Amino acid sequence: MIDPIFGACALVSLVSAVMVVTRKNPVYSALWLMQCFLAFAVIFFSLGATFVGAMHILVYTGAILVLFLFVIMLLNLKEHELGSEAPLPQKAVLLVCVALTAGALGWSGYQHWKMESGRTFKGARILTLPKREAPKPVALMDDKNGPLKGDDDKPMTSDWGGVKHVGRELFYTHAFPFEILSMLIIVAVFGGVVLAKRKL
Amino acid sequence: MIPYLALSAAMFMIGAFGAVSRRNLLIVLMSIELMLNGVNIALVAFAYHWQNIEGHVFVLMVMGVAAAEVAVGLALIIALFRNRKTVNTGDLTDLKG
Repeated sequence: MIDPIFGACALVSLVSAVMVVTRKNPVYSALWLMQCFLAFAVIFFSLGATFVGAMHILVYTGAILVLFLFVIMLLNLKEHELGSEAPLPQKAVLLVCVALTAGALGWSGYQHWKMESGRTFKGARILTLPKREAPKPVALMDDKNGPLKGDDDKPMTSDWGGVKHVGRELFYTHAFPFEILSMLIIVAVFGGVVLAKRKL
Repeated sequence: MIPYLALSAAMFMIGAFGAVSRRNLLIVLMSIELMLNGVNIALVAFAYHWQNIEGHVFVLMVMGVAAAEVAVGLALIIALFRNRKTVNTGDLTDLKG
């Protein structure tokens, strides 16, 4: 059975996504995109990804979409400046996309049906979500020295998917990619300034 | 698990359709964001399924890359609009021989 929260959010996000790619005016696209992102954040929360969901709202809805709206405002496109879209018959790519999506949905629906109707098959483990239970605190471990200690010298715990849990994984195991990412963002900031500034 | 992957695939394809078929560069960028978010859904669902937090780390990386990509992309669009007064890919055919 599909989780009702997930079902509602999936419907909202799919409708919003279709509206994003079909609106002529980019302002409407940006606003539909905001609704789509908020639905995504709710899905993240329902999957126990509290930190990632909060970051999703902050980064996407708070930063990226505001950036989009600012640029739309700066460009101040008039109706004739929007230009013409490709006519629908030329959008043969639509057929390809619809066919691929229908294929993926059909296949997954078939597997879902097989699973629901009790037939087992190879790889069935991947198709069942574990039963949802109250999230248990996760003990945070150092790779070498055992449990991490907090300021009060007690072993540190965190909700699954909480800030401490994700942060421990990020800064212990994936510290190097994180630093590379920070360099990427610095380069992107410089690139953005160089490209958008009229005179350096 | 399957419904999450189906949503992820559908979102990715909607984004791909928008990125390929639209001529407004702003909407093309938004479609790319949709594609990245479709992948994020799959990553978070897998992280929940295997109870492995690494998926969340990947999502944070994708968010960082998406932010950098949007910053550069929008700067490009501004520079383009300043020089050519258009953001429509149908009008940008300078490289055509």
